[in-house]
Amino acid sequence: MPIICWIHGWAMHLDAGRHIGKDSWLVTGISILLFLGFLAAAGPFLVPHDPYDISFSPLRPPSADHWLGTNDGGMDILSELVFSLRNTVIFGVTAGTAGLVLGVVTGLFSAWAGGWTDQVVMRLADIVLAIPSVMVLILVAAFFQPSPVVLALVLAGLAWPTTARGVRAQALALKNSLHIKAAQRMGGSGRYIIARHLMPELFPLYLINFAAKTRMAVFMEASLAFLGLFDPGEKSLGLMISYALQYYYLDIWSNWLMPPIMLLSLLIMGTTFVTISLEKMFDPRLRKTV
Amino acid sequence: MTTQIKDLTVSYQDHDHALLALDRLDLVLQPGKITALVGESGSGKTTLGKALMGILPENARAEGSISLGSAQILGLDEPSMNQLRWSQVAMVFQNGAASLNPVHCLIDQVAEPLVQKGIVRTKAMTAARDLLGRMGIDADQAGRYPHELSGGQVQRGLLAMSLILDPPVLVLDEPTAALDAMTKLFIAQVIRDLKSAGKTILLITHDLDLARNLADAIAVLYLGRIMEYLPGTDLVDRPCHPYTLALVRAFPFMDGMRDLGGIRGDAFYRMVHAHARENGRTHAHVHVAAPDAVHQGGHAPPQGCLFQPRCTQAVAACSIGDIDFTPCDTHQVRCIRGGIARILSFEKVAKSFGRVKALAPTDLTLMAGEVFCLVGETGSGKSTLAAIAAGAVVPDQGRRIFQDRDMDTWMKTDFASLAPKIGMIYQNPAESVSHRFTVFDIVAEPLRIQKPVPDPETMRARVLAALADVRLSTAPEFLKRYPHELNMGAIQRVCIARALVHAPDLLIADEPTSALDPSVQAKVLKMLLGLQIEKGLTLLFVTHDVGLARKVADRIGVMARGTIMETGPAARIINHPKQTCTKMLINSARGMSSQSLASIPDYEKENICRF
Repeated sequence: MPIICWIHGWAMHLDAGRHIGKDSWLVTGISILLFLGFLAAAGPFLVPHDPYDISFSPLRPPSADHWLGTNDGGMDILSELVFSLRNTVIFGVTAGTAGLVLGVVTGLFSAWAGGWTDQVVMRLADIVLAIPSVMVLILVAAFFQPSPVVLALVLAGLAWPTTARGVRAQALALKNSLHIKAAQRMGGSGRYIIARHLMPELFPLYLINFAAKTRMAVFMEASLAFLGLFDPGEKSLGLMISYALQYYYLDIWSNWLMPPIMLLSLLIMGTTFVTISLEKMFDPRLRKTV
Repeated sequence: MTTQIKDLTVSYQDHDHALLALDRLDLVLQPGKITALVGESGSGKTTLGKALMGILPENARAEGSISLGSAQILGLDEPSMNQLRWSQVAMVFQNGAASLNPVHCLIDQVAEPLVQKGIVRTKAMTAARDLLGRMGIDADQAGRYPHELSGGQVQRGLLAMSLILDPPVLVLDEPTAALDAMTKLFIAQVIRDLKSAGKTILLITHDLDLARNLADAIAVLYLGRIMEYLPGTDLVDRPCHPYTLALVRAFPFMDGMRDLGGIRGDAFYRMVHAHARENGRTHAHVHVAAPDAVHQGGHAPPQGCLFQPRCTQAVAACSIGDIDFTPCDTHQVRCIRGGIARILSFEKVAKSFGRVKALAPTDLTLMAGEVFCLVGETGSGKSTLAAIAAGAVVPDQGRRIFQDRDMDTWMKTDFASLAPKIGMIYQNPAESVSHRFTVFDIVAEPLRIQKPVPDPETMRARVLAALADVRLSTAPEFLKRYPHELNMGAIQRVCIARALVHAPDLLIADEPTSALDPSVQAKVLKMLLGLQIEKGLTLLFVTHDVGLARKVADRIGVMARGTIMETGPAARIINHPKQTCTKMLINSARGMSSQSLASIPDYEKENICRF
């Protein structure tokens, strides 16, 4: 219910239809994401073959039965592609959501508590921020070979500080605003003020951070898979690229190598476009027309 | 001649009911002293005058005693009363011209009591002419008929008539009502002369200005009971009873600065009933009734303080038992709270923000039901003081006492019960509300914060009532509006509604109108002051605008250098400032040039404020 309130609250400020319709970046980004989202969600039911079915003859060029041909293991590439996309999106969204929640909670907590708590939490954030996340992920993936979801959570555990910092900075500025002081004077508890005043106010930050984190996670997942640090039995866009590259001397680039690269690029582009236009929308300084 | 009124109860029989005009009234009138009887219409002032003259109407029933020297007036038969009347006690009636006979000329009517006493007519006429002459009515005017005379002349004629037999006790019922200021001054001088001549004078008047100038003692009457008995000089500056304060606030004194404020609610009259109960016995009781009230059988008689429904500081105990006099200062007040209560007091409260000393040790007392204005330049600590009063800032040192409880302990242990008692209005209305809240949400916020949260229907009713109080729409469409869709004046009204939704006892307004243009400011202020009267609020009003403060305040506190330099009644502060910084502030507000500022002596030496 509160979420509906917030969105409703934002809609009134944005005059949603007018703004969103005018912003071609946002329109493009959202269209791409909707298309990919649809593909990831509904694709597995539409594809002609089981992606794990290895009964087809390997390395066939595209045909009526296999639109994108088959790979070295005799699997249908189109089916594999759709399943890979789905896994990549799930990884991205999981890491993005977890990172966002972690960041927002620590940021708000830190800002509201202030004093020593704030100092400790923020120094912790600095330390985490200083750790090169790729290296940590490579090590974790290599040593523990965790499931993709666990890996996504580890990524979130490394990615929260930027969100936390942003949220804290905004919350600190808001904390001194008159309406929050007024609510405090009326006897409003910290919980009440965070829930009713601070959290809704930070809504744009959530969107921006979620989009940015998801983009980063998608890219990270592809990189790790490409490096071969993923369970080879899993389906992932990065893994597909990695496998396809092993056969680069064959004429497979257009039907095997190209499609996962295209989808990955589209996914990253889509989230990037949405992030950029959201930042513009909520930061008046970046907005060209008022 | 000392006149003693003891336990006087007068009621007027009206079919099955009786109207209670005076209730157990005690009053002593001393020779050479003027005692003024003030109070709203219907409080029983004239009834007392009539009782003293022994001219209560047929349906009146009087109990108690009135002794005029050695003579008992009450219950005296008509012939002996006639002996006393005019010779021992005389009265100037209200509504002058009506009490003169239109077919006789003035001098005849003035001489009549002498003639009645058996004095030769020519002598009587000479005496009357002399007396009228002393009242400023020449022989020509004295020979005219009442309708040929002006109101002032009639009034002076009546005064002469009451004095013709040189009675030691005089009852003057509204002697100056409907007179212009010059005539009033003349009559006042006559009354003063009579006082020095050793007469015992009872002055019945609405005119508080006359009362405070003439009277040695003032009795404030409300629904037949004396609420306060005070020295005349204290009337304006130090009233002790909330009713006296309200009367003073309602009176247009020449040096009054504040816009007039009435007294909330209405007083009607008190009825004595006797009607049958279920057990067949009759049951007499008294209650306050409005003229259009329909009597319902079996209700409880009123208890406690008569003024309680209109009082600004009523507590539960006010409606229990019979309230007796308690001393307050040199006054006697009929108030169980011992007169006007302190709602908030500061003792040596100080606050620093880091190295900045925002507030030096400061004392402050807010009385219930008053409007106290804090004025001063920016940075003088006004807002800090207001924030400390509101409980938004904790002082470094000093004690805060709110409604007789230590505020700091109260805040620490149970802030939730303190917060709704203090409402706050901020300087910047648009920022003091979340732009994400609708009008309804804004006004309902204090209710939502307070536990237990009322059920939706009660909440809605209270929000609508608060919005109606501030004269805003209560239409469903309006409730759904967001602050950015409203103008500043409307947002500030919404903020006021939010501050009032818990029915606070103290309202703190920090520059509430500085973000508004003058016309909106005027409207919002008028409404705010109206609410202050209506709700019986105590208002702490912070402003840098002295011009505004004098229109709003009962008392003004002038701040400079982080402390209150001077406090006093608004009129005194504005007209006769004592401290240099007050003078500077008022002079700057009057737009005097810097030269005249420099001409104020000694400000360097006094080193009180930084001007």
